[in-house]
Amino acid sequence: MSATEPDLGSADDLTERERNAVEAQLFRLADDEYVQAERYTFWQVRAPTLESDLAFANNAQDELGHARLWYDAIQQFGYSEESLLWESEPSDFQHSTFVELPFEEGDWADAVLRAYLYDVAEDIRLSALENSSYKVIRERTSRIQDEEGYHVEHAESWLQRMAQDSDASRRVEKALDHLYPYALTLFEPVGDVEDNIVELGVRTMTLDEMRKEWTDRITDFLTNLGFDVPTDEEPAAPIGRDNNHTEYWDELYEEMVSSYRNLGRHEATKLMGPEDDE
Amino acid sequence: MSSDYDRPRADADAKACSYTEYDTKERATGDVPATGDGAEGLEREIWSALYQVEDPEMPISVVDLGLIYGLELDDGEVTIDMTLTYSGCPARELILEDVEQAAESVNGVDKADVRLVWSPDWSMDLVTEQGKDALRDFGISFDQ
Repeated sequence: MSATEPDLGSADDLTERERNAVEAQLFRLADDEYVQAERYTFWQVRAPTLESDLAFANNAQDELGHARLWYDAIQQFGYSEESLLWESEPSDFQHSTFVELPFEEGDWADAVLRAYLYDVAEDIRLSALENSSYKVIRERTSRIQDEEGYHVEHAESWLQRMAQDSDASRRVEKALDHLYPYALTLFEPVGDVEDNIVELGVRTMTLDEMRKEWTDRITDFLTNLGFDVPTDEEPAAPIGRDNNHTEYWDELYEEMVSSYRNLGRHEATKLMGPEDDE
Repeated sequence: MSSDYDRPRADADAKACSYTEYDTKERATGDVPATGDGAEGLEREIWSALYQVEDPEMPISVVDLGLIYGLELDDGEVTIDMTLTYSGCPARELILEDVEQAAESVNGVDKADVRLVWSPDWSMDLVTEQGKDALRDFGISFDQ
C-alpha cells in the first residue's frame, strides 16, 4: 500500500459513499466465486480423467473458500448468511452471467476454456485489489492469491494439449465463440458506484483497464495456440452485474437453495446450537 | 440504497441469531505465530489446553501448526486470534469450536472467543520446530 493512498479503515469507519463502493466490489467478488464454484461441481465426477475430476473438485473448493471469505467480509456490514444466500431472490445476485451458464454433458473443451478465461480475469482482478484502500479486501486478496496460483497454469496446460488435436481444437474454438461475449460481462459495471470504487482506491484499475489487460493476455496465449479470438464481439446480454440474469441462473439458484427450503430452514444452522454453547 | 444495489439488508438484530458468531479481525498485531512462550499463571494453563487441540487431519496441535496468532486474557475472558491453513477448510467450525472449548475448559476462564484472522498469510514456515518433528513422524517432509 503506497503512502499516498488513503486507508478507509474498517467496516464501522466507512462513510455511506465508501461503504457503497466497498460493498459493490465485495458482492461481485463473492457472487462470481460462489456461482463459478457451483458450476465447477458439475465436472467433479464427469471430467475425462480421475486426475481432472480431482482438479475440478479442488478448484470448486478453492472458489467456495474464497466466496466464504468475501461473504464473511460482507457480513461485517451486518448482513446475515441467510439474507445473502438462502433467502435472497435470484435477481439479487450480481455475478457476471458468464459464470452461471450451464455446461453441456461431455463438453470438456467448454469447461477448460471457461476455467481459463475466468482464472485470468480473476488473476487480473486480484492484482487490482492487492493495494486496495480497504484493508479487509487487501489482506484477504493476498491470502487468495496464494491459493489461486495453479488455476491458470492448470487450464493453460490443458489448452496446450487440446491444441495438438484437431478435434479438440475445433471444440475449443466453438466454445470460444460461445463464451467470449459472456466472459466480457465480467468487466461490465454494476452502476454509477463504479467510479467511486476506483476513485476511493477500493480497486486500483478501472474495468476498462482490466478488460484490456485480459483481452491482451488471453489473445496472446490463444492465438499462439492457433485459436481465433473473436475480439470484435460485444458483451453478451444480460450481463448479470445489473441483476439481470439468464434463465439458467434461476434454475441453478433453485437447486442451490432446495435443501434449505425442503428442510424448512430459517437460519443457516451451525454445528453447535445455542444449547451447546455457554 | 441506490437502485442498482438491492441485496436485502440484514435485520438490525441479526446478531441475536441463535448461532455462534466468530468475530473476524483482519490482522494479527504481534509476531506470528503465538506459541505461549514465557506465559505464566492462568495464561500458561490456557496455552497448555490449546496444545491439546489437534488438527483434524494431522497429529499436530493447532499451536505447533502455527495457527494461533494471538491470545489476550482479560479478567477470565480470553480472546484468541487464529488463522486456518486453507480458506476452503471444511473443518473450520469444528476447529474453532475445539479451540474455544479447550480454552473454556481451563479453571478460571469464563468465556473464550476465537477471532479468525487472515493476515499475515499462513505458511509452512510458521510451523514450530516441535511441530515439524511431529509432522516428520507423520511422514511429511520439510526438505526443499
